Amino acid sequence: MEKEIKRNCKKIQSEKAGKTQTETKLSDKIKPESVTDTLNTSKKKTTTKTKISISKIQRFSTADGPGIRTTVFFQGCNLRCKWCHNPETQSTKSTFLTFCDERKEISGKAMSVKEIFSIIKKDVDFYEISEGGVTLSGGEPLLQADAAKKLLSLCKQENISTIVDTAGAVPFENFLKVLPVTDLFYFDIKASDSKKYLSFTGGDFSLIRENLIRLTKTGARVEVCVPLILGVNTDASSRNKIANLLKTAGINDIILLPYHKYGISKYKALGRNYEFERKKLTPSSVIEKTKEFYRQKGFTLKTRK
Amino acid sequence: MIEDLRKELSIFPNGEKSEKIYLYLGHRSHYKERPILAKAYGTANLFRQPRAHIYENDLIAGSVRGLFSSEFDERIRQKAESDFSSYGENTFFTNSDHFAPNYRVFLKDGVPGTKEKIEDSMKKHNGEKERRFLLAVKITFDGFIDMIKAYSLAAEEKAEKTENEKNKKNLRLISEDLKFLIDNPPKTFRQALQLMFMTHTAFSYEGKSAMAFGRIDQYLYSYFKKDVESGILTEQETAELLTSVFLKIYENRYFGFDDTVNICIGGITPEGEDGTNALSYIVLKAVKNANIPGPNLSARIHSKTSDRFLDECLKVIATGLGYPALMNDEVNIPALLRHGYEKTDVNDYCFVGCIENFIAGKQPPWSDGRFNVPLYLEPIFFNGKTLINPEYIGIDTGELDGLKTMNDFLEAYHKQLEYAMSVYFAYFNNANDRYNPENYSQPFLSIFCEDCIGRAKDIRDGGSKYPSVHAPACMGIATVADSLAAIDKLVYTDKKYSLSQIAEAIKANFQGYEKMRKELLAAPKYGNDDDFVDRYAVWYVEEMERLVSPYKTRDGGPLYVGIASNVQNIPAGEEIAATPDGRKAKEPISDAASPMHGMDKEGATAVINSVSKPDYTLAACGTVLNQKFSPQMLNNEENRNKVKDLIKVYFKKKGQEIQINSVSRDILKDAMVHPEKYQNLVVRVSGFSAYYVNLDKSVQLDILKRTEHNGSDGV
Ligand code: SF4
Repeated sequence: MEKEIKRNCKKIQSEKAGKTQTETKLSDKIKPESVTDTLNTSKKKTTTKTKISISKIQRFSTADGPGIRTTVFFQGCNLRCKWCHNPETQSTKSTFLTFCDERKEISGKAMSVKEIFSIIKKDVDFYEISEGGVTLSGGEPLLQADAAKKLLSLCKQENISTIVDTAGAVPFENFLKVLPVTDLFYFDIKASDSKKYLSFTGGDFSLIRENLIRLTKTGARVEVCVPLILGVNTDASSRNKIANLLKTAGINDIILLPYHKYGISKYKALGRNYEFERKKLTPSSVIEKTKEFYRQKGFTLKTRK
Repeated sequence: MIEDLRKELSIFPNGEKSEKIYLYLGHRSHYKERPILAKAYGTANLFRQPRAHIYENDLIAGSVRGLFSSEFDERIRQKAESDFSSYGENTFFTNSDHFAPNYRVFLKDGVPGTKEKIEDSMKKHNGEKERRFLLAVKITFDGFIDMIKAYSLAAEEKAEKTENEKNKKNLRLISEDLKFLIDNPPKTFRQALQLMFMTHTAFSYEGKSAMAFGRIDQYLYSYFKKDVESGILTEQETAELLTSVFLKIYENRYFGFDDTVNICIGGITPEGEDGTNALSYIVLKAVKNANIPGPNLSARIHSKTSDRFLDECLKVIATGLGYPALMNDEVNIPALLRHGYEKTDVNDYCFVGCIENFIAGKQPPWSDGRFNVPLYLEPIFFNGKTLINPEYIGIDTGELDGLKTMNDFLEAYHKQLEYAMSVYFAYFNNANDRYNPENYSQPFLSIFCEDCIGRAKDIRDGGSKYPSVHAPACMGIATVADSLAAIDKLVYTDKKYSLSQIAEAIKANFQGYEKMRKELLAAPKYGNDDDFVDRYAVWYVEEMERLVSPYKTRDGGPLYVGIASNVQNIPAGEEIAATPDGRKAKEPISDAASPMHGMDKEGATAVINSVSKPDYTLAACGTVLNQKFSPQMLNNEENRNKVKDLIKVYFKKKGQEIQINSVSRDILKDAMVHPEKYQNLVVRVSGFSAYYVNLDKSVQLDILKRTEHNGSDGV
């Protein structure tokens, strides 16, 4: 017995030193920490040293695309949607949240592509069985398009499916960078005209519109996400305009996302005022009507599940 | 009809529980016989004398209501109680209940076949002891036959009296079936279920708890198939019959507790094929309809299990009932094979109690105890002493300065545990071996265990095919792994603190050591897919196997490792001082095989990855992984598919068991404030489910604290 435990301790020790003992059961089950080592040797060293400023990485994420996914929330956004439910990701700088139960969180830390990928890779078995994968969200992932591309490339090398969730207000070349390594874009269309876009999100609608049209022309798979918000985009005229834009762009798949107020505690934790605090939730009758409208127009209603 | 039966069951019986009086009276009328025979007469009288109670809405007969009586005067009651205490202590420790009878064989033989077996064996055995045992068997079995007769008569009487035509018809059918069963083995599904449940009722008369139904979808399938094919039974009727039986488990509440009757569905057949069949689905439905905590449903899952079956299981879990518990054949079978059982027997395994692996009707009843593993970290720090309960002492493993490496520390811990296990075993042995099998024999139970009748030996005296097993339920795997990782990190890797400083902090329950506690809490924690700490969970399971493997039960059987704790993690925690993982004194330790509540922060996939790292084929008893998913995760098909995939990966990675709670936090919180509104709220506790409002507050809080997975919330 004494001997056995010594042997066992040794096993643990040698693993700590990073040596692999392929013949033992223990090391079979626990792989050494540096899972991406092999990848590094095959690619240029610089690839994975690139850093990404992220808000958080969410594993077993179930509302960011099909199957079981890992969602990487990028830090930094160039829009300021009044309803934003991830306000902590807006600033490009690190942001502190202090929740009412005194729990503290930091949003925004630099992580290397390699580090992020090593977390992503831990769940490959789950992606495989559920046809899930990785979603880059945020914030605006395409503000860090070069780094995003590197991360997505690593994913594609391992056959992990990739989704980029974007608000679209970035130079089109940023799209081009990630295009070859992105399986699906979730492209937000938040309003139907420049005025509303500017006042509710601070975004430049013509750029976003242009990007959407150009992106679909490249043959990329695009699904448009519309957050349903009363007074912004649920009225008949807005719906029509959005429908027309999608027709122009040649997009058939649309995801309607009912507005919720889950983000409210985060505004408090950030010490910020939530302008939409008193905003009415979109009534289900309006949601149903809107769904019916797009369905009638010939769009396919999809979900992010 | 089912709802009417539920109503009838919910009325508590009048009179006092009198089973000891019946035993006493039977015993007294044969006091001159040898003890084993006098006691057999006691048991026979217990089966014979109480009033056979039939419910107006019964579909299948069998009730413990007749045990309640007000006809006996206080003097007899007291005499019976006092005599009974020296009459024979049949408890969990002495292998008396927590058993799955061999219903497969018993239903095939029926009453006449069993009688014949007893008589045949009597002809073959001439030894005095053997003959006496067989005679005792016969006496109890005759009593059981009279019990069937009594129920048949009572059903007929009730049928006469009732005005409801439908009930009248059902009650007549019961009466006829029971009459038929006295001279014939069951032919129909109804008869087979009736004979099984009459047997179960007899065990309930005897006061045995946690008597499992075993693989009900296997041994009842041929009857079901034949009846459905010949058109005398529909699936709907089958579900109703089963629900009515499952509902009866509620009767245990008259005794003051909810019984855990394990029912097993799915899994592979003895020959290794997928055994999931139409009846498996009906049992699922019936358990759902019963909607009470008692039927502890377990579903065996293996690589050939269909997606549909897993999905139906999850739908029942989604109701909040918490069962079925999902069991991985691909781990449990190799785990049992390690102990040398025949392959076909192992393939046919089921469960007793909460999650304990069991080979139905081929081994003596189960026993287990709790082994408080984290407690034995303390004597390393305090020269062999523990801080809270002076009853627990370890050995002196030397000065802390002497533990120069993590290896040294692990070795000291191993010595403490080795000593603790020897103390545990002495205690178990004392309890288990206290009663000699002859004087405390169990002739009736022996009928349902291969091959007691053939060998003319009691179930505890070499009659069963396999010897008895015992399992220490090893507690606190996460508390231990987290503590070892914290020591590794802060003492040996970062060299921030010495062991003596940690000892001081433990002694002070971290008062004045808040900064250190923060750092200890920040060390890697089990359940986050971090090898730095997960390796200690791997070590833990291997270590438990090392600790138990030198020991054998009284009759040469193995000790199994169990990674389970029920709700014992709460009282166990009360005995433990602060631990190096940052846990404060007397707080609960981690529950079963689960990560410490609130410490698993990386989501469900990380938990699954961590928890599947240890080699659970070393834990032949079984493990319990409690996970909580919010109801919206299970009620929506797309999300449920994700949970299903999660479980599939878990099982592919050789996780052993998972059970899921899915009652929302808001409801649980509200139920603590307004228990009156939630009288029927059933939740998964650990290896079993229970009415939430009846749980101790500490347990309610413990369930509330479990990390809830709800994926992410999207846009
Ligand atoms: S684009 Fe998204 S992250 Fe940026 S402000 Fe709008 S809602 Fe928030």
